[in-house]
Amino acid sequence: MKRRSLLLSTVPLALAPAAAFASADLGKAAPAFTATDSNGKSWSLADLKGKVVVLETTNHDCPYVGKHYRSANMQTQQREAAARGVVWLTVASSAPGEQGFVTASQANELVAANKAAPAAVLLDPQSKIARAYGATVTPHMYVIDKNGMLVYKGGIDSIPSANVDDIPKATQYVRVALDKVLAGQQVAEASTRPYGCSLKYGRNST
Amino acid sequence: MPRFIAFLFALLIALPVAAQTQSVVQTDNVRAELISEAGAIKAGEPFWVALRQTIRPHWHTYWKNPGDSGLPTEIEWTLPAGAKADPIVWPTPSFIDVGGIVNYGFHDDILLLVKITPPADASGTFHLAAAANWLVCDDVCIPEEGKFALDLPVGSAATPAGGTIRALFDKARRDVPMASPWPARYGVAKSGDPTLVVEAKGLKPETISGVYFFPSGWGGVANMTKQTATVTAEGIRIPLKKGEAQDKGGPPQELTGTLVLTEKTGGGAQRQAFDIAARLDPAFVPSAASVSASNEEPLSFMQALLFALVGGLILNLMPCVFPVLAMKAAAFARLAGHARAEMRRDGIAYTAGVLVSFAAMAAAILAIRASVGEVSWGFQFQSPIFSLLVAYLFFVVGLNLAGVFEISGGFTGVGQGLTAKSGATGAFFTGVLAVIVATPCTAPFMAAALGFALSQPAPQTVAVLLAMGLGLALPYLALSLTPALQRLMPRPGAWMDRLRQLLAFPMFASAVWMIWVLTQQTGPDGVLYALGGMILIAFAIWLLRIGGPATPATWMRRGVAALAVLLALGAVVKISDGPATAASASAEAGSKAAGVSFEGWERFSRARMTEAAAAGKPVFVDFTAAWCITCLVNERVALETPGTRRAFEQTGTVKLKGDWTNRDPEITALLKELGRAGVPLYLYWAPGADKPKILPQVLTEASIVAQLTAK
Repeated sequence: MKRRSLLLSTVPLALAPAAAFASADLGKAAPAFTATDSNGKSWSLADLKGKVVVLETTNHDCPYVGKHYRSANMQTQQREAAARGVVWLTVASSAPGEQGFVTASQANELVAANKAAPAAVLLDPQSKIARAYGATVTPHMYVIDKNGMLVYKGGIDSIPSANVDDIPKATQYVRVALDKVLAGQQVAEASTRPYGCSLKYGRNST
Repeated sequence: MPRFIAFLFALLIALPVAAQTQSVVQTDNVRAELISEAGAIKAGEPFWVALRQTIRPHWHTYWKNPGDSGLPTEIEWTLPAGAKADPIVWPTPSFIDVGGIVNYGFHDDILLLVKITPPADASGTFHLAAAANWLVCDDVCIPEEGKFALDLPVGSAATPAGGTIRALFDKARRDVPMASPWPARYGVAKSGDPTLVVEAKGLKPETISGVYFFPSGWGGVANMTKQTATVTAEGIRIPLKKGEAQDKGGPPQELTGTLVLTEKTGGGAQRQAFDIAARLDPAFVPSAASVSASNEEPLSFMQALLFALVGGLILNLMPCVFPVLAMKAAAFARLAGHARAEMRRDGIAYTAGVLVSFAAMAAAILAIRASVGEVSWGFQFQSPIFSLLVAYLFFVVGLNLAGVFEISGGFTGVGQGLTAKSGATGAFFTGVLAVIVATPCTAPFMAAALGFALSQPAPQTVAVLLAMGLGLALPYLALSLTPALQRLMPRPGAWMDRLRQLLAFPMFASAVWMIWVLTQQTGPDGVLYALGGMILIAFAIWLLRIGGPATPATWMRRGVAALAVLLALGAVVKISDGPATAASASAEAGSKAAGVSFEGWERFSRARMTEAAAAGKPVFVDFTAAWCITCLVNERVALETPGTRRAFEQTGTVKLKGDWTNRDPEITALLKELGRAGVPLYLYWAPGADKPKILPQVLTEASIVAQLTAK
């Protein structure tokens, strides 16, 4: 018996490999950030205490982002959220030279062209926000409650595909999460599989 | 560039096939084609088709678990009524790092295999239609799709497709992970991080590299950029990071995925893949499985100390440590009736001896680790040299106990001599001797403890070993410090000498046991060297005992005695000729269940091989070993399949199997002749051939059948 215990305890204390990404933990304070939006305004998560916040990573050339904008699914949810007092922040985290990188004016053009309605498009060319949240894809979605706690992370919906026809059939996780959070309830599906294109972090900064 | 040319080439050669099947879709990044292994099918009889993807160089499509981003290829079938398509059988994925994001997928040219079962009443033409979509990515991702159709005639018997297509399927099957031949389990640390243990006993750690576990789905296990697996003769252990899924009702009963590793074999390196289904072992709580937070669990270190302490205590009780007990009893007897202070000093000196020995062992471990890096410690304890020296030591101590000789000088090489001295020095060396004697007896036990100690930073290594030493010394220390216990000891008297002489016998028994261990490591020759060495040592002691003044004759005797001892030690050199045998002997001991099976095969001997070949029979020779993974895979996928067995039978092939688990010299010689360093090695003597053909080390059923049936 003893031998077994000893064998079991022969776990190597592997040295921590350089972790490329942080990961945001549910039920804990969402990682703080400060960023400038496409209109030059500065946003800080700390200033948004008391409001429910949605983060949406984006890359306009990613087909999965395209799926939810072509179908107007994303814009609809942005408007619904705004109407309920939720601050929806679209975060453009592609590094310069990578697919999805936008300047302030390009970001604004995209908002106009898509008839999008986020509270702001945050410019994150150094991918700081994406890294702090451990975002791996676009769109990768996060919901933060009034106390600044992370209550949802994962995909926009439940059917990982590039097919627009799947949207009506899918559970819209973010919408469901917002319903719960605004009602002061626990989010049941709080961590789901994110799907989409890989987030375009800079080549030499990871 | 070569890849791109290969891609263009693939496009070119595919053209005629395309015309024939009309099932090719060419997109910007992928040439996809639906192919069938059957030219004609039989109603009710399953057959295989595949979606072949020839992917643009540097681009990739995705595995069933795509990793952090991406999506797997999907195929939607439209089949005649009553027909059935099974899920995709995926090839072994590759690890693809996209700027720090982990993807699991495929490059170049792959087949996604699907088994189709036509209905029993199929007739005429069987019409398959498929709509497939896939995501193909380089830096950027493009979703693509295609519609495919294939018409297959239904006949009275199934016929195979052309050789080129069949070769593709054959290769694809080889790329599919094999069901794991080993049981696997996993445990969850307090941090929630799982650790996977694949009980692949008897592997040779030095031949295995590139171990990676691909989790089969999202959520359970994080997609890690790096996994630090440890491979020991006990198996493969991979600490993982927990995935993003919420814990709802605890961890799942099963952790599934694909284990990939690269094995260095006699003729190169082989990548092997196994499908693993690890059951949850609730009793298995990895103490420090957290990869990222190694110092978050001080408790686990405390547990390790506790285990080590208890382990040391148990060393006192294990039957194989009988000589230690014998010495303890002798020491107790000697001390009985002494003053309390002396007793206490004695106990403390003994404990110091034990602790210093363990500290020395820790220093040795640290030194080895500093110079070699990762060490597998277990084998040192099973080295034949160590066994022989310990057998000698037991023998000499036995002689001393029996009263054949007394040593009064500072002859530190023989601890019992010093232990015979009264006082602290004697007690100290009893402690040292206890450790030396206990160590080899408990090789597996110690190896496990040392395995833990080895993986720790230096202070922990030392602490764990010292805790174990303290455990070993504890009963005696407690006795020497507790007057109440001492009162239970009998009074000294003549019985003490008798007891001492009696204790010589367990010592001799231990020496015999050590010699037996030696024969396990070296074969019968070990007995000759060990017993011969013992006679020489006894002779030397006898010479020295004659004593007398320092006359030339005395010096002569001393010289001869020294020579005798040198000769005895010379046996050590002789025995160390074959250090590898020890490793394989222990590998065998550890892998009885996974041993080489001879069912359906004759044992290889060179005589049998040449005789059968000379008689004009076809001969197939399989050189294998219990620890050779590639050998095992070849057996499963190629040598022991019904098709190959049938071919062996029909051609009347003589099947010989050589087991190299224990480095058989006859096989070693043959390998050398053929320029091979190890197994697997496959030889085929065609009927009437005057020399064998060396087959590739990766076999498929088709390749063997082709060899056997070649005219």
